[in-house]
Amino acid sequence: MRLRRRVGWNLLGLLVFVVMVFPVFWMISTAFKPADEINSFTPTWLPVHPSLQHFRDALALPNFWADVKNTVIVVLVAVGIAMVLAFLAAVAIAKYRFTGRKLFIVLMIGVQMIPGTGLIIPLYVLLGRFGLVNLTGVIVVYISAVLPFSVWTLRGFLIGIPKELEEAAMVDGSTRLGAFVRILLPLVAPGLVATSVFAFITSWNEYIFARIILNGGSSQTITVWLSYIFGSQRATDWGELMAASTLIAIPVVVFFLIVQRRIAFGLTAGAVKA
Amino acid sequence: MGAVLAYPFYSLVRISLERYGLFELIRHHGVYIGLANFGTVLHDTVFWHTLLRTFVFAAACVSLTIGGGMLIALLLVRVSGWVRILMTSGLVLVWAMPPVVAVQVWNWMTNVQNGVLNYVLTELHVGNYFQHNWFASPFSQLAMCATLIVWGALPFIAITLYAALSQVPYELVEAAEIDGAPAWRVFKDVTLPVISPVLYILTTLSILWDFGVFTQVYLLIGQAAIVPANYLMSIYVFEKGFLISDYGIGSAISILMLASVALMSVVYVRRMLKVGEIA
Repeated sequence: MRLRRRVGWNLLGLLVFVVMVFPVFWMISTAFKPADEINSFTPTWLPVHPSLQHFRDALALPNFWADVKNTVIVVLVAVGIAMVLAFLAAVAIAKYRFTGRKLFIVLMIGVQMIPGTGLIIPLYVLLGRFGLVNLTGVIVVYISAVLPFSVWTLRGFLIGIPKELEEAAMVDGSTRLGAFVRILLPLVAPGLVATSVFAFITSWNEYIFARIILNGGSSQTITVWLSYIFGSQRATDWGELMAASTLIAIPVVVFFLIVQRRIAFGLTAGAVKA
Repeated sequence: MGAVLAYPFYSLVRISLERYGLFELIRHHGVYIGLANFGTVLHDTVFWHTLLRTFVFAAACVSLTIGGGMLIALLLVRVSGWVRILMTSGLVLVWAMPPVVAVQVWNWMTNVQNGVLNYVLTELHVGNYFQHNWFASPFSQLAMCATLIVWGALPFIAITLYAALSQVPYELVEAAEIDGAPAWRVFKDVTLPVISPVLYILTTLSILWDFGVFTQVYLLIGQAAIVPANYLMSIYVFEKGFLISDYGIGSAISILMLASVALMSVVYVRRMLKVGEIA
């Protein structure tokens, strides 16, 4: 009886798995299919004659490499700057008490919750005023977009480190900066990696700000490229589109698998204890 | 840094009180017109319809996500180890899909000529879906967007809830079962109280996310097919602000939209402060 019930749950579990994973499977499967299999009215689940042609075509599409390069630059610069700022801010709120600290935290969590579209008009107008309606502007927006989350997550990693460690180093004759570099930084390094990867994914996936700020100009980010490449008409080259989609998803999936466990609970950290 | 966060807000309020179109954008400052933008927006039936539609849409997405996530989490507890590993890996894979990529996959799966969705539904004898157009009416357009959003959000909810469920003491569940409590009573009186803080935060987050959703809706319906009958709030802001270039009206709508989610944000921030133990 118990065993039979377990088998039933397992079957249900497998069904959920199949339904959830199917779109991803279908994307990859389509990318490897030759055109006649894609356009057939009775689809085959796996490619009968797998080919890499669509990947080759996708890589040769106009602006693919240029926009990948744009995205990599934007993401690296934004994440780099954001991590330095976030780390300093996180140290400040985790280790020191100062006036306005609580207000700062409230503002930070609050801002993180605001739908991005709510602030896009003033951001656009402000960027225009500073002549930043270009990739630099996108970098600025991404920095501010990932900052609140990063500060909050890093703070979580920092409060786990006892103050005594740092104090001990200083008693032993280390300077404040020395204690910071030699004690605090190595301890928080895993947190820093996890947070920056998450910031990387967020920026890589971002669409609306890039769409509005770059507004159809010659330089785009890769998500905007993907949404433009075949226009809005529905008669598209699905094989190429799925190949391009797969290529764009790969870096995110890889990075995501690295940090998923660390970051997953950041948003609800400590909720169980409350 | 506080100033950096506050300044866009200040600008938002300022622009909402100004006439601010393309001309003003080039000149870099608007003309003060008081509350006229708000008057225009509040007298526009499109605004009220959009607000209501967004509430209904978000409510549907949130209930499906939280309900579905809860069911998947409960299922994860009951399956064998290898099925659990398989399911978790599948969920993480889905979680990692960039939204823009997911939109393209949805486009392909639901396309009129030979989308696999129509094929599967016809084969399963759900009905004749041969060349069924999933984007024929605003309702079905938004329903498709909802499936996409729920699919993308389920993994985070399910995995987080599963983690919370593993905190439920097994002895309690067993004791209740031995006492002959039906499964739903065990869930309601033993499991739910333990996971309710997590459930609470997840629901709040989902409401905030689904209320402000833009990318999936904008791209799946497609710029060309977006009309007032399928507007959601963030699309409305985009259309008014950037397509018609009326930044004043757009800002006024933004403020009204932010005000409608502000209450939810307050709830979330208070809860986070409590669990962050910083007070």
